[in-house]
Amino acid sequence: MTETIDQHQEGKRDVTFRVFRFNPQVDSKPYFDDYTISAERGITVLRSLNYIKEHVDATLSFRAFCQAGICGSCGMRVNGISKLACTSQVWDELDKCREPGIIRVEPLRSLPMIKDLIVDMDPLVDKMTRYANWVDSTMPLAEMGKKEFLISEEEFQQYDKATDCILCASCVSECSILRANTEYVSPAVLLKSYRMNVDSRDGIHDLRLAELVKDHGVWDCTHCYRCQESCVKSIPIMEAIHAIREDALEKRGPRDTSGAKHAEAFMEDIEKKGKLVEATLPIRTNGVVWTLTNLLPMAMKMIVKRRTPPPPPLVKSAKGIKIFRAMFREMTEHVKQDHLKSHKK
Amino acid sequence: MKPFDIVIVGGGGAGLYAAMEAMKTNPALNIAVLSKVYPNRSHTSAAQGGANAALANKAKDDSVEMHIFDTIKGSDYLADQDAVDVLCSEAPKIIRELENIGTPWSRMEDNTIAQRPFGGAGRPRCCYCADKTGHTILQTLYEQCLRKGVLFFNEYFALNLSVHGSRSRGLIAMNMKTGKVEAFPAKTVIFATGGYAKMYWNRSSNAAGNTGDGQAIAYRAGIPMKDMEIVQFHPTGLRKSGLLVTEGARGEGGYLINKDGERFMARYAKEKMELGPRDLVSRSIETEILEGRGFDSPAGKYIHLDLRHLGADLIKSRLPQIREMTLNFEGVDPIEEPIPIRPTAHYSMGGIDTDNFGRTVMDGVYAAGECACVSVHGANRLGGNSLLDILVFGRIAGHTAAEEAGKFEPGSISEEDLRESVEDIRARMQPSGHYERYGALREELGQTLALNVGIFRESSLLHKGIQDIAELKERFKKVRVFDSSDVFNTNLQQVLELQNMLDLAETVAVGALAREESRGSHTRIDFPVRDDEKWHKHTLATLVDGKATPGEKPVTMGRYELQERTY
Ligand SMILES: Cc1cc2nc3c(=O)[nH]c(=O)nc-3n(C[C@H](O)[C@H](O)[C@H](O)COP(=O)(O)OP(=O)(O)OC[C@H]3O[C@@H](n4cnc5c(N)ncnc54)[C@H](O)[C@@H]3O)c2cc1C
Ligand code: SF4
Ligand code: SF4
Ligand code: FES
Repeated sequence: MTETIDQHQEGKRDVTFRVFRFNPQVDSKPYFDDYTISAERGITVLRSLNYIKEHVDATLSFRAFCQAGICGSCGMRVNGISKLACTSQVWDELDKCREPGIIRVEPLRSLPMIKDLIVDMDPLVDKMTRYANWVDSTMPLAEMGKKEFLISEEEFQQYDKATDCILCASCVSECSILRANTEYVSPAVLLKSYRMNVDSRDGIHDLRLAELVKDHGVWDCTHCYRCQESCVKSIPIMEAIHAIREDALEKRGPRDTSGAKHAEAFMEDIEKKGKLVEATLPIRTNGVVWTLTNLLPMAMKMIVKRRTPPPPPLVKSAKGIKIFRAMFREMTEHVKQDHLKSHKK
Repeated sequence: MKPFDIVIVGGGGAGLYAAMEAMKTNPALNIAVLSKVYPNRSHTSAAQGGANAALANKAKDDSVEMHIFDTIKGSDYLADQDAVDVLCSEAPKIIRELENIGTPWSRMEDNTIAQRPFGGAGRPRCCYCADKTGHTILQTLYEQCLRKGVLFFNEYFALNLSVHGSRSRGLIAMNMKTGKVEAFPAKTVIFATGGYAKMYWNRSSNAAGNTGDGQAIAYRAGIPMKDMEIVQFHPTGLRKSGLLVTEGARGEGGYLINKDGERFMARYAKEKMELGPRDLVSRSIETEILEGRGFDSPAGKYIHLDLRHLGADLIKSRLPQIREMTLNFEGVDPIEEPIPIRPTAHYSMGGIDTDNFGRTVMDGVYAAGECACVSVHGANRLGGNSLLDILVFGRIAGHTAAEEAGKFEPGSISEEDLRESVEDIRARMQPSGHYERYGALREELGQTLALNVGIFRESSLLHKGIQDIAELKERFKKVRVFDSSDVFNTNLQQVLELQNMLDLAETVAVGALAREESRGSHTRIDFPVRDDEKWHKHTLATLVDGKATPGEKPVTMGRYELQERTY
């Protein structure tokens, strides 16, 4: 069936929306429905879905509220990428179709399905609660509202970008670890945890950190960068994840809980971010264990002070990275054995 | 279900503050917050500009008293002066409190909360967080509610109050995930459901869900609405969606151009041109369109906001958000093309009639935020005063309900009580021969309101509007819900929202016809001046025998005498 959205305007194109359908009351498994409409230039994916719902199929279900990219309701996968339907232009999407003229629309992944394009957001809220994604203020209750904390522009800059997050869960849907393990903390929750941890008004930094380093926490991230690439607000999520790790190593040391795992992950950081390589030079002269226990925390402080490492494509591998990689691999082995030994004791 | 002490309907700024404050007032109380969207999605997140408070961080000589005067003058003297006193005196405390619990305010050089100038304010007192003030306030409140363990019922759609005699026994709501209609017996209910400006549909800057549900529920329960006719319009909404193009575009030097290629503001505000006050610019654009100098399209008539002469560099460096938005929502690159715009309904000054403590006329029922009318905005809300309103009066309503809950008997809602709500819904879902499409009705409602109950109002137009609304209500009886599923039936939800908008639209049109004067945002062509003798009062609308019945209420005066409002 071909319907027309708007009769005027320079151009119109026939577009087919291939939409994921699933109603748990009647369907044993999901399927796709095709809706073909004539869409003018300037129309968003959300407006097209609204049009289909009003004119073609009222049972098609999805969430939308602000229609302006600020509330985070309309996260879904369009042509395979998790994004906001309300800020996605149909004509732009036409250039990204796998099959010409057919735009695929599917629900976000890694969250329980409810119906059609609607997924359950409760798991994300539960994780925000588990990781204390709030400021636990150091202002005594009796003083509340009487005076301001004084906060520098530099501190504000540290969490400015992070507070752009609208909890749309696009990053959740793209995260490679979550697809394998839904218990994983989630990129958005790591981002929020980071934002709380760098806030000087907060008094439970250490507790939050202790939770973050447990299983399914910050060390499980594989650095695939997919969360950051898909963030609808272009937030450098990976910087937040790095900062939490650096913070954890500094405050809790490399032997914390599953120490070897941490160190390994940290080394992976270093391996990828060649620039940090200087920090590990003492390893050569002093040996792995000594370095890990004595110097890494300090090195971490240095890194933390620099705060904002350049975003991934800009981080150039340091010269001679190959040699270092070999060395890190060796070091990993050492740490593992060290870890095993300490367990046996 | 065990009766609640307090049921709060709405998880925006007003609802969340009410919840926090109620818990603080009496931690032993059993409190629930219902919201049709996850609280962090509420429309409070859309507020970019900021919230006013005389902190005097920027202008050292700012004072609460000046804030009070600006607000009363801005309201065109229709605000209640005792209520404005509360609003402005509480402002510094509440903004600091938000700061204390984590709101990331932008900062001044001396590390205090940053403030900037805003329309209608004599001093720069608008506290902000970049261009995401409402979003960060809402996030902070939601985070704190999670911290305190507030009991949320997310994606529950409130349907009705359960009223026996003149007493509320609690709330009836539908769980969207299961479609089940559930009872929330409660000693007290607080409505915090936000504004109703979405009834102008595509001619509104509001979220799709700002359909005035709480107001409609209260109205159906016999609680009066106040000053419903007073709706604020913003001059530059995108043609197709009504979404806001912020003042920044004109601030940087954008031109408003009609179809003859004229910079028409020269006719209305020779000196200020495009930078005149909001209501004047809105009226000027509307005049151009009405007199046939607008562009035509099936999506309606519009004029151009032209930024091209500013050049690609300036647009990219100074107005990146506006460019992104016109690209995303209208598919127009302002570097290459003018932006199609027209005025858009933005804020509802009217709402549920409350006193300064959030009480309505019904025992145990309270309201706060944009859904309430205290009234602190009178005939015109100042930018930055609305966020303040929802915070201050959200908190007061939460406190009052917590203190008073003990006075009321715990309600009980029987199966019988629920049945009525369920049957209403079932009836909608029955197949019938001839039916109406809710989408069409919704659009027509927006059109008739924009045309007849819009920026320019006049007796014959308003009569036409009232008649149209009555016809739409008649046709609504034939609207059918096609989705028969229980799980997340958004089709059903949208139909119920349309019903709420239709009920309230009548009160807006009837109030506009009654108020035979021009005051603030309410402009009558046939009564072009403010008439203090006859109309220095609030209008009320109460549902009697299925009809909006007009009433009135005096304005509370105080230290400030009536004056002409000039800027
Ligand atoms: C584009 C835009 C910009 C703005 N900028 C500013 C600004 O800069 N400064 C300023 O002061 N003001 C501004 N405002 C106004 C201000 O944002 C709103 O007035 C204010 O946020 C309203 O808050 P609220 O808590 O009353 O309602 P909302 O935030 O709208 O929350 C309403 C809540 O009620 C719930 N709800 C509604 N109906 C039901 C139902 N049937 N069942 C269950 N739950 C329901 C919703 O889920 C939601 O949680 C702006 C408004 C707009 C549209
Ligand atoms: S970088 Fe880490 S958090 Fe981000 S998507 Fe990959 S695994 Fe997930
Ligand atoms: S981090 Fe980005 S993608 Fe993830 S929820 Fe927040 S805004 Fe969405
Ligand atoms: S509808 Fe709010 S972000 Fe898309």
